[in-house]
Amino acid sequence: MIKFTLNGRTVETDAPATARLLDLLRDEFELIGTKEGCGEGECGACSVFVNNLLQNSCLIPIGSIAGADIQTIEGIIETEQFKILDESYSIAGGVQCGYCIPGMIMASAALLSENPHPSEAEIREGISGNLCRCTGYNMIVEAINLAAKKGDGL
Amino acid sequence: MIEKITAYRFERLDETLSQLNREDCAIIAGGTDVMVLHKSRRGVPPKIPKPIVFINHLSELKQVYQHHKDLHIGACCTYSELLENPLIPFALKNAIKTIAAPAIRNRGTLGGNICNASPAGDMLPLLYVYNAKLLLRSVNGDRMVAISDFIQGPRQVQRFHNEMVTEIILPFVLGDSHVVFEKVGNRNADTIAKVSFAGFVRISKDRIDDIRFAFGAVGPTMVRSIDIEKKLIGKTIPLADADIAEIVAAFDKIIRPIDDQRSTAAYRKTVALHLLRYFLSMKQYQPN
Ligand SMILES: Cc1cc2nc3c(=O)[nH]c(=O)nc-3n(C[C@H](O)[C@H](O)[C@H](O)COP(=O)(O)OP(=O)(O)OC[C@H]3O[C@@H](n4cnc5c(N)ncnc54)[C@H](O)[C@@H]3O)c2cc1C
Ligand code: FES
Ligand code: FES
Repeated sequence: MIKFTLNGRTVETDAPATARLLDLLRDEFELIGTKEGCGEGECGACSVFVNNLLQNSCLIPIGSIAGADIQTIEGIIETEQFKILDESYSIAGGVQCGYCIPGMIMASAALLSENPHPSEAEIREGISGNLCRCTGYNMIVEAINLAAKKGDGL
Repeated sequence: MIEKITAYRFERLDETLSQLNREDCAIIAGGTDVMVLHKSRRGVPPKIPKPIVFINHLSELKQVYQHHKDLHIGACCTYSELLENPLIPFALKNAIKTIAAPAIRNRGTLGGNICNASPAGDMLPLLYVYNAKLLLRSVNGDRMVAISDFIQGPRQVQRFHNEMVTEIILPFVLGDSHVVFEKVGNRNADTIAKVSFAGFVRISKDRIDDIRFAFGAVGPTMVRSIDIEKKLIGKTIPLADADIAEIVAAFDKIIRPIDDQRSTAAYRKTVALHLLRYFLSMKQYQPN
């Protein structure tokens, strides 16, 4: 039995220790905001926070997160930071099909928490592990820039 | 049918080592190599043929400290942790910044990069030129191995199943040494190097006191030749064109890259020799 904190609640699972956190989130906890793109750490669609650090849930065997604090996109939706990101992404036109967006938002939030006023190069580095097949990235970079200005340190 | 999976996660290193001594297990640190290697269909846990031992939560494996001027780095330090640590040399940090993206750097470990022993492992060329040593620990005690002896080939390391790499040790280097790392690839975030190069040089009064270089991704393991390096010791810089040509020719003979989906042998060799030539021109190490 593996116990950890998921979006602020203590949860337990008897899934095998090698099960991917990604599958557990989607199939057992029905948190389907976290997406699977590549399943190999390259696209960032599955990004979550593990003890506040951005990580790819497709690479995490759940046995390694016993006792950890996990947050998914569903877990940050009430935060002020999310609201500002949400607004900025729509103003900048940063969302097309949307598949990459939960991961992008997680990466954006991680970046802004660490570096509230990133340069364009730092924004591009911050989302360098996230692939988007639609937008060409410029609007996403613009969205994060906008959020940084509006959020001013959030 | 659900297959039974055995996995262990002990609170302490000594308990972990006892388990490794009882049974041949698969060690998982960050899992960024293991999980990709054993990936199955979505919804199906990766198939790892041995019992699993998780180690990346062990605080004993996350220390960074200096001892007799040598730098000791815990095997389970992640790249992000190393980037933030003031004891880690700049050259190593520069190499870390070329690795993947933030999310991978928050999980991948230095020990994992070494034990995975990929010909393209980005930490390896620098660790070779630093003459890094590995501390291997088991219930029977400790032993120290040079990284160049530990790594035997792609995914092959000289480790007994009851051992674990606990520390990476960088022997003391004098402060006026120059150390560089170059990586040639496509997109950082998923780029495995096509060619990489690490150089180390210490010059006093225009004379080369110590020089080392290693190439990555151009052979089954890092390519380094102490015999070739020796030819340069005591020479004055700037090096004569003939000296540079001699060293480049010597490496031309021993670098034997392969063609694969990432690059061709010819490209790899040309770039490797260019990186060497540039390093030997020492433009960056001469006053003004
Ligand atoms: C998207 C992506 C991008 C990547 N980009 C790069 C890159 O740019 N450059 C690069 O070099 N690598 C890259 N990698 C590979 C990988 O992230 C690194 O090699 C990383 O350092 C592996 O560390 P880990 O802790 O995740 O290893 P794991 O997967 O946990 O382990 C790797 C191997 O080492 C063994 N092992 C781990 N720790 C120990 C120990 N302490 N003692 C004994 N054995 C041990 C394991 O049993 C396993 O065989 C990338 C991977 C992904 C998924
Ligand atoms: S699904 Fe995890 S990084 Fe692509
Ligand atoms: S909006 Fe479609 S993948 Fe990014």
